Formats: sequence, C-alpha cells, structure tokens
Amino acid sequence: MRLLRRTLLAAMAATALAGTSLPSWAQDLSGELVILQWQGGSDGELWKKLEADFTAKNPAVTVKELVVTGQGDMRGPMRTALLGGEKVDIIINTWPAFRAELNDAGLLRPIDDLWASAGLDSQLDQSWRDLSSTDGATYGVTYTYGNRSAIWYKTAHLEKAGVTPPKTWDEFLASIETLKGAGFAAPIAMPAKYWAHGEWFETLLLRTGGVEAAAKLAAHEIPWTDEVVKTTLKKYAELLKAGCCGTPEQMFAGDWDYSADQIFTADASNYLMIGMWMNSRALNDYKLKEGVDYSIFQFPAMGLGHDDTSSVDAKEVLVTSNGTNPAAADAFLAYMVTKDAADILASYGYASPSKSADPSLLGPVQQVATAAVAASKVQFVLGDLLPGDLVDEYRVQLQKFLQDPSDAMIDEVTAAIEAKAAESY
Amino acid sequence: MANSVASPATDGASTRSSREADGQRKLLARSRGRFRDSPAALLLLVPVLILFGIAVVFPLIDTIRLSFFDIKGLGKPKFVGIGNYIKLFTDPAFRNTMWTTLVFTVSTTFFSVGLGWALAMLCAFAPRQTLPFRVMIFAAFGISEAVAGYMWIGILRPDSGGLLNAVIGLFSPGFAQPWLGDPRTAIWALVATATWGAVGLPLMLCFAAVQQIPKSLFEAAYLDGASHWQVMRNIMVPLSMSGVRVAVFINLLGMLRAFDIIYILTGGGPVRSTETVGYFMYRESMTQFKLGYGAAATVILLVAVLIVSVPAIIQRTAGAR
Repeated sequence: MRLLRRTLLAAMAATALAGTSLPSWAQDLSGELVILQWQGGSDGELWKKLEADFTAKNPAVTVKELVVTGQGDMRGPMRTALLGGEKVDIIINTWPAFRAELNDAGLLRPIDDLWASAGLDSQLDQSWRDLSSTDGATYGVTYTYGNRSAIWYKTAHLEKAGVTPPKTWDEFLASIETLKGAGFAAPIAMPAKYWAHGEWFETLLLRTGGVEAAAKLAAHEIPWTDEVVKTTLKKYAELLKAGCCGTPEQMFAGDWDYSADQIFTADASNYLMIGMWMNSRALNDYKLKEGVDYSIFQFPAMGLGHDDTSSVDAKEVLVTSNGTNPAAADAFLAYMVTKDAADILASYGYASPSKSADPSLLGPVQQVATAAVAASKVQFVLGDLLPGDLVDEYRVQLQKFLQDPSDAMIDEVTAAIEAKAAESY
Repeated sequence: MANSVASPATDGASTRSSREADGQRKLLARSRGRFRDSPAALLLLVPVLILFGIAVVFPLIDTIRLSFFDIKGLGKPKFVGIGNYIKLFTDPAFRNTMWTTLVFTVSTTFFSVGLGWALAMLCAFAPRQTLPFRVMIFAAFGISEAVAGYMWIGILRPDSGGLLNAVIGLFSPGFAQPWLGDPRTAIWALVATATWGAVGLPLMLCFAAVQQIPKSLFEAAYLDGASHWQVMRNIMVPLSMSGVRVAVFINLLGMLRAFDIIYILTGGGPVRSTETVGYFMYRESMTQFKLGYGAAATVILLVAVLIVSVPAIIQRTAGAR
C-alpha cells in the first residue's frame, strides 16, 4: 500500500513536471479563447476566417469575440470594456502607446518565453520583435503591417497630364504644377478634418531627420521647437505654397474617405497619402483594378540624407495577464505568423511580416508597398506613439499651420505643441 | 359701534391674519396626516428612490468624486483635489469651448424658439389646414440627431454636389463653399442644423399656448373691429408667452448639452472652432481617457445647466402645492 502511494505520488510529480516543461502552446488545447475585437467590415470578416482556421486546427478550442463598437479612436471603447471588468485572452492592438498603457495597468503578459519555445525567431525578424516590445520585454506578435509613406494616385489622371510618378521632391513639386495646368485645381487631396494631414508631416519628418530624430521626438527626447521639426514644416510649407491642396477650408472639409472620393470618383484631385487600407476601398467600393486603374509610389527622395526611411503602421496580438485560457492564447499568437494565416491575410490584401508569407499572393500595389518597406529603415507612425492629449494638440496646431504656413506660424505652432508636450510626458 | 367699524386696512389685516391662522391649522392637519401615512408612503416610494439613487444620485456623486482625481487611461487614479478645476480654467481650449457653447446655445435657442413661435402664430389662424405642415416640422424633432447629422453632411458637402451649394449654384454657377471646413461658417452651419431639428418643439408648445386662449377673447376683439394684426399683437403674442418660456427653457438645456450633432458634423473642428463643453467633455473623457479632467468639465456643465434650470423650475412650480 505504501509502495503504491509512493508510485502514485511519483507519477503525479512526473506528470506535473512534464506539464511545466512543455511549451504551453504545444499542449492539447481546449476551452474558450476570448478575443477583444474592435474591427468591423472586411477586417472583421478577415478575423472570422483566421479564427475559423485556428479552430479547425484546434477543434477543442472555441473562439468568442468580445466586440466593442465605436467611431474614430477605438481605444476608448476598449478601455471601457477592460475597466468594466471584461476578461479577454487576446487584445488586437495597433497603438504602441496603448500597449504601454495596458502594460502599466498590469494587463499584459510578456511573451519572451513563448518567443523562444515557439521559435518565433524563425518567423519574424528582430525588428518586428522590437516593434512589439515595451521596456525591454516582448508583449506582442505583429501579424500585419502597412506602408504609410506611399502616395496613391489614379493612373488616368497622371497619363492625362503627361506625368510619370515622381521620384524626387523637385519632380514632385513640378508634377503639382503640371497637374494644375491640366485642370486639377488641388492636385493633393488633403484630408485635414481630423488627423490625416499629419501623414505628410510624419513622412517629411523621417525624410528630414531620419528615424532617429522621429524616435527622439516621439519620446520627447528632443523638443518640438527643434530645428528638425521647423525644417520639416518648412518643407511642408513648400507644398502648400505650390498650391497643392486648395484652400485651408477645403482641406478641413473632409476626412480621408472624402479625399479618396475626390480622386477616384470626382476626378478633382490626384494624390492622396494614406495607409494601405485605401486598397480595400479602391477594390471594393470603387471597383477599380489594382495596379491598372490606380497605383502608388513611394514618397519622393528629398536628398537630405534620409531617403531610405518609411513610416509604417502595424497590428499586433497581445496576450493578457488575466485571461482564462493562456495556452490557447499562446497558440493563437504563434498561429498568426504561420503561412496559413499569412495566406488568409494576403487574400484580404494585407501584408504579413512572417518569413513564411508568399509575397506573390499580394496584389501589385501591395507588392510595391512591401518592397518599399523592405528596403527602408522604418519608424512607427508618429501619431500612434504620442500621448493622447499631445497628439490632439499636435493635429490642431498642424491645422493652424495649414491656415498660415509662414515662418512665424511655424514658430508659434511648434511652441504650442512643445508646451503641451512638457505636461504630457 | 365706532369700535366695531374697522378701516378697510385694519379689516383687511384682520381677515389676512385669520386666513393665515386657518391656513396654518390646515397645514398642521395635513402634516399630521402625512405622518400617519408615512410608513406606507415611504414603502411606496422605496422603488422610485432606489431607481433615482442608482440612475441619478450615484452617477452624480461618482462624477464629482472622479473630478478630484488625475486619471490617465487605465492608470491608477491620483488625488489632485481641485487641481482639475484650476487646470480647466487655465486651459485656453476649455475657455474657448465655454464661449462656443454660449454662442451655440443662445443662437440655436433664439432661432429655433423665434421661428417656432412665429410659425405657431401663423398656424393658429388656420389650425386644420396647417396640420400636415406642423406634423412635418415636428417630425424633424423626432429624428435622431445622429441620423439628422449624416443627412446634413450631404446638404453641406463642400463641393458642388452638396445640396446647399447646388441650390446656390443655380444662381452662381460653380459655387462651392466648404461650410463645415471654414471656421467662420462651421459654427453657423451647426446652429442651422440644430435649429432645424429643434424648431418643432417650440412650434407645438406655442401653438398649444395659443389654443388655450379663450375663443371669447378673439370673438370680442373681432366684434370690436380688431384686425388680424391687432389680434395677434394684443392677444396672441402676450398670451403665448407661457409656451415661449417653456420652449426657451427646454431648448437652452438641450443645446447646453449638445454633442451628437457636433460629433458627426465637425468633430469640434476646424481648429476647435465648434468645440462645445459637451464635446470637450467627450474628447477628454472618451478619446483621451482623462476621466478626472473630463469629469471636472462635466461638473462645470452641470453647474451651467443648474443655473439655467433652477430659476426656471422655481418659477414654473411656484404655485404648486
């Protein structure tokens, strides 16, 4: 009897040890995996496909989406859900500042162990790991990214005006003049109603000061009154003074979707600088043919020593510290950079950073975009790195700059942003 | 005999004193009745009091409590006393919202009540014939502000495809004014939109007030040879003022708290030119998640609402027992 008890205890101990030595994602998975979902439309459909594929591979797991809805910045509804006590296993995130906020609140679980045990190094480059790290610990797995330094255009417009996609800043300014001569009063559709006018500033900043300056500015290690910011705004002013975008009132009148309409349906403007989600709108809403009816070119070279830079956005999946199914959550993170997940992403026009992804599955526009990113030093989009109240002030001050792009106003707006930054960090 | 004859003043005073004593006796009797009924009355009031506590008192107290904390995102709250209030009144953005709120609230109330009242006066001359007209105008009051906002985005589109620009374009070809993009016109575009939605209620209230006027007054006036204009000026206008007062009160309260229409049409812009206290509160609380700061703005808005509503409520209920 005593021997039997000892044997049983030994067997239990061995089982327990075996359980802890195995990577959690490699165990037999079961139970419910809860995902905090804030995306709708075709992005929502994409997620349904990814979840279906994951559960097909892990039949004992069921996926439940905790859907939060809203308009604009979705961090508000997400915070409300989390503060309300909702427990989820996975959070989809696209804001590095929000990751830091979640981490400060103790809601995230670091995944450095998972990274090693699941061999994620074989799927993602170190740069993607760095992008998902906060204070030296890895918290997320980036599953898609987008080029935010690409300029969209309708091919017929440029052909009509005899313009080829410009490669240099001077060619770009000259093309604006040519397009105006061809009857387009505002060649750049500038969506300055809310936030999208910051896109031009952010890539101009990268091309003026490089990723180092942009990173320092995001961390407030250099002030907004720094010369690099003022030089960037002076370059922005060159565009405005060339009559790129119509009146400030026209710029303030619409968001990016209205600006896209001005190019692709109203034929009133020619260039739009916006993220890769524009591809889905062009394909599905305007029913245009990718690479034929419309295309993109990378932001023109400015000759200031930083032309190998690109602004990017990315989406990552994070695991929570209070989720009820950590094993399934870990497995889901590892799944998101597999070839199967990358193929599903490609079918919706999204690029995956996974080394298993097949770029040939992407459309021609996405191929141009991903090739440009691959050849660049990348910096995450500035607006998503800044503290919330600062980013709001930054966008409002940029609106003031659009009203009056003079040197005096540049001094005024940079001083105003810096004053806000001083209290935001 | 001489003692028994009181002067009118003395007589009046003694009558008043007797009435007061009588009133006090009745009040005491009612109070005793109340005390006798109090357990049952309180029991019946309990569900309402609980609901009122949960829906009104608790959120109110919690909002005031939050306003004394610095809360950023999901971080831990930090007690700052009246720090948020001091910061609010030194924040140029908030000071600007107070002015914008005043302009928006007063203008919208002025136009919606003025227009509603004027239409009510006209409708009163032919109540049956103008019924469909009144129903149509009042229907706008029933439309959700979000739906109305999206409809008005179509009307105010900045290009010539916008309905307003297209109509003006009939007289001035190529006319394209970005109504919502121009800080000078954006606030007035909002006032017009809000007025469109709000005019139905003053119309109905003023129309109802006119309908309350005894018909004999009109008949007497017409028999005396009064014209329509004289009837309107001397009878309808003064006797419809009760409806106007209620309409002003309701409109002021509604416009002070306006949010939906601003959120949809302008998002507070351009360059914060249409940001009211209600929108500021949302921006700080929900987009930046500075709950303490947003709560302080909410308390300020609450005070503004009380300043408007308390005198009006006192005045409206002064005669109630």
